[in-house]
Amino acid sequence: MLSHTLRRCAAGTMALALTALTATSLTAPASASTEQASADESTMRIATSGQVDNFNPFTSIYLTPTAINRYVYENLVQYDSTDFGPTEGLAESWETSDDGKEWTYTIREGMKWSDNEPITADDVVYTYTQMMEDPAMGAANGSLVQNFDTVEATDEHTVAITLKEPQAPNPGVEIPIVPEHIWSEKDDPAGDDNDTEVVGSGPYTLESYEANQSITLKANPNFWRGAPKVDTIQYAYYTNSDAQVQALRAGDVDFVTGLSPEQLKALEGADNVETNIGESRRFTALGINSGAETPEGEAYGTGAEALKDLKVRQALRLGIDMDTLREQVMQDYATEATSFVPESFEKWHLPKSDRIVSSDPEAAKKLLDEAGWTEGSDGIREKDGEKLSLRLLTDAQEPTEQTIGEFLTPWMKDIGVDLKVESSDSDTISDRTTAGDYDMYITGWSVTPDPEFQLSINTCASRPDAEGNGPTSQDGYCSETFDELYAKQHTELDESKRVEYVHQALQQHYDDVAQITLWYPNQLEAFRSDRFTGFTTQPTDGGVIGNQSGYWGFLSAEPAAEADAGDGGGGLSPIAWVGIGIAVLAGAIGVPLALRRRKSDDRA
Amino acid sequence: MSVNAETEAADPQSADGREDIDAPPPGQSFGGYLLRKVGGALISLLMVVLLGFFAFRILPGDPVQKIARERQMSPEQMELLRAEYGLDKPLVVQFWDYLVGIFTGNLGTSYVYREPVSQLIAEYAWPTLLLTGSAAILAIGLGLWMGQLAAWKRGSLFDKLTTSTSLVFWSVPTFWLALLLLMIFAGRLQWLPTGGMVSPGVESGSLEHVVDVAKHLILPVITMTAVVYAQYLMVMRASLLGEMSADYLTTARAKGLREDDVRLKHAVPNALLPTVTLVFMHIGGLITGAVTVETVFSWPGLGKLTYEAISGPDLPLLQGTFVVFSSAIIIMNLLADLIYRQLDPRVRRA
Repeated sequence: MLSHTLRRCAAGTMALALTALTATSLTAPASASTEQASADESTMRIATSGQVDNFNPFTSIYLTPTAINRYVYENLVQYDSTDFGPTEGLAESWETSDDGKEWTYTIREGMKWSDNEPITADDVVYTYTQMMEDPAMGAANGSLVQNFDTVEATDEHTVAITLKEPQAPNPGVEIPIVPEHIWSEKDDPAGDDNDTEVVGSGPYTLESYEANQSITLKANPNFWRGAPKVDTIQYAYYTNSDAQVQALRAGDVDFVTGLSPEQLKALEGADNVETNIGESRRFTALGINSGAETPEGEAYGTGAEALKDLKVRQALRLGIDMDTLREQVMQDYATEATSFVPESFEKWHLPKSDRIVSSDPEAAKKLLDEAGWTEGSDGIREKDGEKLSLRLLTDAQEPTEQTIGEFLTPWMKDIGVDLKVESSDSDTISDRTTAGDYDMYITGWSVTPDPEFQLSINTCASRPDAEGNGPTSQDGYCSETFDELYAKQHTELDESKRVEYVHQALQQHYDDVAQITLWYPNQLEAFRSDRFTGFTTQPTDGGVIGNQSGYWGFLSAEPAAEADAGDGGGGLSPIAWVGIGIAVLAGAIGVPLALRRRKSDDRA
Repeated sequence: MSVNAETEAADPQSADGREDIDAPPPGQSFGGYLLRKVGGALISLLMVVLLGFFAFRILPGDPVQKIARERQMSPEQMELLRAEYGLDKPLVVQFWDYLVGIFTGNLGTSYVYREPVSQLIAEYAWPTLLLTGSAAILAIGLGLWMGQLAAWKRGSLFDKLTTSTSLVFWSVPTFWLALLLLMIFAGRLQWLPTGGMVSPGVESGSLEHVVDVAKHLILPVITMTAVVYAQYLMVMRASLLGEMSADYLTTARAKGLREDDVRLKHAVPNALLPTVTLVFMHIGGLITGAVTVETVFSWPGLGKLTYEAISGPDLPLLQGTFVVFSSAIIIMNLLADLIYRQLDPRVRRA
C-alpha cells in the first residue's frame, strides 16, 4: 500500500523533478561563456538596476547613462581622483583672465576620436554652441552654459570661453564634448538616442545597448591616457539588489555598488570577494521648514511658527545624539557631518571646530526656556497656550527614515518637544515639502565636486514660488550674509580665499540651522578580487569606485593575475546546499506527513 | 490596478469555479445573454479608459520634478521637459489627446524610453508570455492532474500530501520563495544563472541561445508554478468529489470498466468544467506578468516595465499598460462567460 502511495507521490512531483533534472543536465557553469571570453579578452560585468532614458549626452538626465557617458566622452576639464580638483581632460592647460570672464583652454595635440578622426577645438566649440543656441540640446546640461557669452576656437588647439559674469568655478567641467563630424550629420541631434555606432573620446565607447538587459562598453584604444586594461565592461540588469549580491557570489557579475549594510556584512566573509566602504558625495539631513517664503517674501505653507525661532532650531539640534543615531541607523556606515558639503570634498567641507555643537539636551532645554517655551504638565512645552508639537515626514519605504523617527521621538520628548512622525510615500512628501506643508522631513543630495551649485540653491534667489515653480531651493533658506559670501566665492579666483568664503558661508548656514545635517552615508560596494584588481577610488583616500565624478574607477582596473577559480574552503559544501535545496522544494511534503494523525486509509 | 497574476487568482479554498459565473436567468435567449455580457464588458472597458487617465494623475508627485530631482536643472530646462511631455497643456486637452490616441491605437510615447507605448508593450510582451505561459501550462497540468488523483483517493496519504504541499506553496510569499531558490540554485550551487533572460553575448537564434534562455527560465517558472498550481488542484479536487457519487459512474463500473477508465473517461471530463473559468482568468492574467517574479529574477518583461513606470512615474507607459492589462482580463472574462455557457448544457438550459 505504502509503496503504491509513494509511487503515486513520485509521479505527482514528476514535473518538478523533471525541471530539476533539466537543470542538472544543463549545468555547465552559468558563467561559462564569460570565462571562455576571458581567456583572450577580459570582460568585467557590473550589476545595475538603473533606468536609461537614452545615451545622448545633450538630453540624457538619468543617473546610469550619465555615469556611462563619463566613460564615453572626455570633458574639457576632468575632476581628478585624488581630491576632485580640476585636472586635464581634452584641455592640457587653461588660463583665466584677471576679471574671471575669459577662460582660454589649450587642447592637447594628437588626440583622436574612437573612429580615428582628430579631436580639435572645433568639436568643443560645436558642443557648447549647440547647448547655448538650442534649448532642446541644453535639456540635460543647459544650466552649465547659462553664463556663457561666446565660445570661439582661436586656432585648432585653443578654445576661448567668454562669460557673461565672472566665475571662479572652472566652466570646462561636467560637459561631455561630442565629435562635430558625427553630430552635425544627425538630422535631429536632440532626438537621437545615441546607442549605436557611438564615437567617443573617453576610455570606453558604447558598443551596444539592450534595454533592461545589458549595456556593453568596449575599450577605446585612442583614449589619450592610454587604452584601459579591461577590454569590455558589461552592465547586466539585476532589478533586485539581493539578486545582485547572489550574482556576485556566483561570479555572474564582478562588481556591485549601493549595497545595504546587511548585504555588505554578508559579503565580507565570502570567498574571492572584496568590499569597499567609500565616502560618498551625499549628505543626509533633517530638512527644517523655518518659514517658507517666495522670493518676493510672501509666506506660504503650514510650517510651525516655533521653527522660525533660531533658538528652537538650535535646541532641536542639541537634542539629537548624532553619534548614537549614526551608529544605530547606519550601523556606522556613515561619516560624521558638519554642513551640507560632504567630507569627501575635503577642501570645501566645513571642518570641525568648536562652533560645531554636539549633543547637549540640557543646553537644549535652556534654549527653549529662553525662547519662552515652558514645560507643561505633560512634559511638553507650551507658549501662549500652544504646544510645541512638530511634524516629521518620513518615507514609509525607507527603513532608515523610519528608524530615524523612532530614535528622535523620545529624544525630542526629553527636551519637551512633541514629535509627530508622519509616514507616507516619497511622492506625497515631495508634494508636501514643495507646498511648505511640513515642519521637518528627511532629505539628502549628491553634491558636485565644486560646491558652487549646492551653495547656489541655498541663496534667497533660488527659492521657488508657492507652486514649486521656478528655481530649486535646498531648504528654502534665505540669509543676506550667506548670499554675500556666496557671491564672493563665486568670483574669487584665488582658491585659498575662495575656500575661506565657502567655509564662512557653510558656517553661516550651520549657525542658522537651516537644516540639521545628520551624516554623510558611505557607499558600500563589492567586487570579485579573483577576477579584477586595481580599482581607483575617488577620492583616492577612502572614496568610491562606482558613481564617480570621473572615469577613474574602472579605468585602472585590470584582470587579476592568477584567477583562482577554486571554491576554496569555508562555508557549506555544495552537497549541503543541494540538501537544503531539495529540503526547500520538497520540505513542505514533510509537514503533512508529520501532521498526519492516523495511518492512511488508502482506498486504491 | 492589478498587475499580478498571483493576486488575480481565486482563493483555492472556496474554489468552485462556478461561483464566478453569473448563471443566466432561466429561459433567457442566447442573444440577450450575449448582449448583456458584451454590454457589461464594454462598460468595464470604458471605466478602464477613464480610470487609466485620471487614476495616475490624482496620485501625488510631479514627473518632471521627480526626474530632475538632485540634478542641476534650471527652470527653463524643467519647462522644456514639461512641454516635451505635454504636461504644460491644460488637463482637458491632455485628456482629449489621450482619448483620441486610444481610439486610434496610439497609447502615447513613453517619457523614459521615448518610444511609442504600444510598441514597448508589444516588445516586452514576448518575454512575459514565455515566462507566464510556461508557468501556466505547468501549473494547470500539474494542478489538474494532481487534483483529480487527490479527489479519487480522497483521505489517502497521497491526497493529504499533495493537497497540503500545494497549500503550503500557495501560502508562501512569492518574493521569499523566489529569493530562496535564487540563493540556493544560482548563488550557492551555481547551477543556474542569477537573473535576466539571456546571457550577454549569446548569438540570438542559435541553439545555444535556446538552451541559455531555457536555463534562465527554470527558476522563475518553478516559482510561478509552485505558488499558483494549488488553485487548479483544489478546484479540480472539489469538482471531481462532486461527481464521485454520480449514478453514471456506478453505471460505468457496472459495465466492468477499469477504475482508471471510469475516472479518466467519465468522471474527469465532467469535473473539468469549473476549471474553464479559472483557466480563462489565468490566460487574461498572463500578459500582466508577475511583477514579483520578474523583479527578483530581473526578467525583462511587462511586469518589470510597469514596475519601473510607477517609479518614474512614466505616465503614458503607466496608462498604456493599465489599459492593455485591464482590457485583456475583461475580454478573457467575457470569453469565459460565453464559452462556459456553450460547454455546459445545464447552464444553457437551466
